[in-house]
Amino acid sequence: MATVSTPAPPKTALRTSGIGSMKVRRMVSDVITYILLVLGALVVLIPLLWMISTSLKTESELFLLPLRLFPEVPQWHNYIDVWRIQPFTQFFMNTIFITVLAMGGEILTCALVAYGFARFRFPGRDILFIIMLGTMMLPGIITLIPTFLIWRGFERIDTFTPLTVGALFAWGPAYIFLLRQFFLTIPHEMEEAATIDGANTLQTFFYVMLPLVKPALLAIAVLSFTGNWNNFQAPLIYINTLQKYPVILALYAFSESLSKEAPKWHYMMAMTVIMSLPIIALYFAAQRYFIEGLTVGAVKG
Amino acid sequence: MDFYARTLIDYAVVALGMAIAMFVVFQVLVRLGMKREAATGYALILPWLLGFIIWTAYPILASLYYSFTNYNVFQPPKWVGLDNYIKWLTNDRSFWPSLRLTLLYGLISLPIGLALSLGVAMLLARNVRGVGVWRTLYYLPAVIPAVATILLWRWLLGSEGLVNQILSPVYNLIGMDKPSWFVDERYALPGLIIMSLWGVFGANTVILLAGLKNIPTHLYEAVELDGGGAWAKFRHITLPMVSPTLFYTLVLGMIAAVKTFEPGIFIKLNSLTTGTFLQVLVYGNAFAGGNSRMGYASALGWIMLVIIMVLTLLVFRSSALWVYYEGERK
Repeated sequence: MATVSTPAPPKTALRTSGIGSMKVRRMVSDVITYILLVLGALVVLIPLLWMISTSLKTESELFLLPLRLFPEVPQWHNYIDVWRIQPFTQFFMNTIFITVLAMGGEILTCALVAYGFARFRFPGRDILFIIMLGTMMLPGIITLIPTFLIWRGFERIDTFTPLTVGALFAWGPAYIFLLRQFFLTIPHEMEEAATIDGANTLQTFFYVMLPLVKPALLAIAVLSFTGNWNNFQAPLIYINTLQKYPVILALYAFSESLSKEAPKWHYMMAMTVIMSLPIIALYFAAQRYFIEGLTVGAVKG
Repeated sequence: MDFYARTLIDYAVVALGMAIAMFVVFQVLVRLGMKREAATGYALILPWLLGFIIWTAYPILASLYYSFTNYNVFQPPKWVGLDNYIKWLTNDRSFWPSLRLTLLYGLISLPIGLALSLGVAMLLARNVRGVGVWRTLYYLPAVIPAVATILLWRWLLGSEGLVNQILSPVYNLIGMDKPSWFVDERYALPGLIIMSLWGVFGANTVILLAGLKNIPTHLYEAVELDGGGAWAKFRHITLPMVSPTLFYTLVLGMIAAVKTFEPGIFIKLNSLTTGTFLQVLVYGNAFAGGNSRMGYASALGWIMLVIIMVLTLLVFRSSALWVYYEGERK
C-alpha cells in the first residue's frame, strides 16, 4: 500500500525494497500481534495461577510481603482439610444428583419439542415458536416468586424437586432453538425411509433423528451441565438444610464466614478450585461442543 | 438419603405423567379429526407448552397481581393498588442507588468488553499460529463458575490483595492510598467492572471470531485494490460485516447485565450508598430477612422487566442505523 504513493525509483530497486518493506511491515505487525496476545494471556492466567497458588499456602503466607507466586512448601493437605471441615462428599453427591437429573430431563424434552417444531406442520406453530424465542428475553426474576410459591404449595421447599423436575418441561428455549436448527438440516428422506420400514414417530425420533443430531445434543449437554453445576440462585432460594447443600452453597456459606480476623483465603481458594475443576476438565475434554453451543446462535441466527 | 428418593419419585411421576399426557393429547386430537401430522406436532411440543403455561404465563400474571398487593406469604395477599410502585419506591432509599449501579455497570462494562473482545478476535483472525490454543486460553475464564470468579476477584481486589500489590508503585507515584475496592464506595463499581470484563470477554471473543471468520477475503482484497489501508478495511469491511454478531452479543450482554445477581450476593455492597444489583434487591425483599415482602419484590421485578424491554427496544431500533445484514435489500 505504501508503495502505491511513492514515486517510482529504478525498477529493480522498487521490487526488492518493496517486497523487503512489506516483509518488515508484516514481521513488525506479527510481533505486535503476538506481544498483545501474550499480554492478554497473562491477564487471563495470572488470576488463575494466583487462585491455585493461594490454595497451596499456609495461613501466615497469605499476606506475606513481597508476594510470592509459589508457596515455600505447597500445602497439598489444604485440600484434605477443606474436605474434613465440611461434608464435601455429600455436597458433591448433591450437586451431581441435581445436575444429572436436570440435564437428562432438559435434553430429552428439548429434543422432542425441537423435533415437533422442526418437522410437523400444525396450526399456530410459527406463533408458538416466536413466543418460545421471546421467553429467552424474560428476566427469570419475574417468574421466581410465583414459582417459589407453587413449590411451597406442593410442600417441596428444601427438596431437590424444584431444581430438577422443572427440567422435564423443556427448560431452555435456546436449546430448543439450537436443536431445531439442526433438525432442519436433515433431509426428509431419512424419516420417509424409516416410515417405510414400519417405524412409528417415536422410533424414528430415537433411532434415526437423535443419532443424526448428536453434535448438537453434545453441545447442549455441555451447556446444560455447566448451567446446572454453576446454578446458584435456585439452590440459594430452595435449599436450607446443610446436608442438602450443593457445592456452590457450601462455598457461599464458607465465604460468609471469612473475615479480617479469620482470613482463611487458602481454604476458600481450595474450595473454589475443587468446584471449578470438573467444569475445566469437561471444557478441555469437549471443547468443540462448548464453542459450537456458543457460536451457533450468533452465526446462524 | 431419603431426600434423594423423594425427588426421584417426584421426577418419575412427572415424567410418566408427561408421557401419558402426550399420548392422550395425540389420541384425542386424532379422534377429533385432526390430521395425524398436526396431532403429532402438538403432542411433541406439549412439554414446552405445559411448561410455558405453568412456569411462565401463570407466574407472570401472578407476579403482576402480587405487585399490587401486600403479601408476606403467611397471610393471604391484601390488595393495595399502586402502593408498591409509589409509596415503597419513594421510601426505599436503596432503590435509586441500585438502579444507578445496575445501569452504570452495564453501560460501562458492555462497550469496553465488546471493544476488547473484538480487538482480541481480530488479532486471532490474522492467521496466528495455534489459534485453537489461544482461543482455549481466552475462553477459560468464561467456563469457570461465575461464583468462583467472584470469590477469586474478591481475593485479588482485597485491600492487601494481588492487584493492589502489583499497582502499589503506581499508587506511590500518583500519591494515592491503596483503594479497598469493594468496600470503598468510589471503587466498588470499577472493581465490579474489572471482574466482569475478565469473566466474559473470552466468550464474546469466541463468538466474534466465528463472525470474523465468515467474512469473505475478497472484500479485503477489493479495499487493497482501491488503495485503502488498515483503517479503511476495519471501518468499511470488518465493522459492517461483524455488526450482526456484535448486535447479538450486545443484546445478550445487556440482558445479562440487568439480571446480574451473584456479585451482589457474594460481595457485600452498601445498598444505600453504592447501591446493589436490582436482582439482589428483589431477592432481599422476597426471601432474605424476617419479613418477606413478596408484593414489593414483585413490583421491583416488573420494573426490571420494563427496563429490559425498553433497553432491548432501543437497541433493536438503533440497529437499523449500524447493523448491516448482507441479504437485506434497501
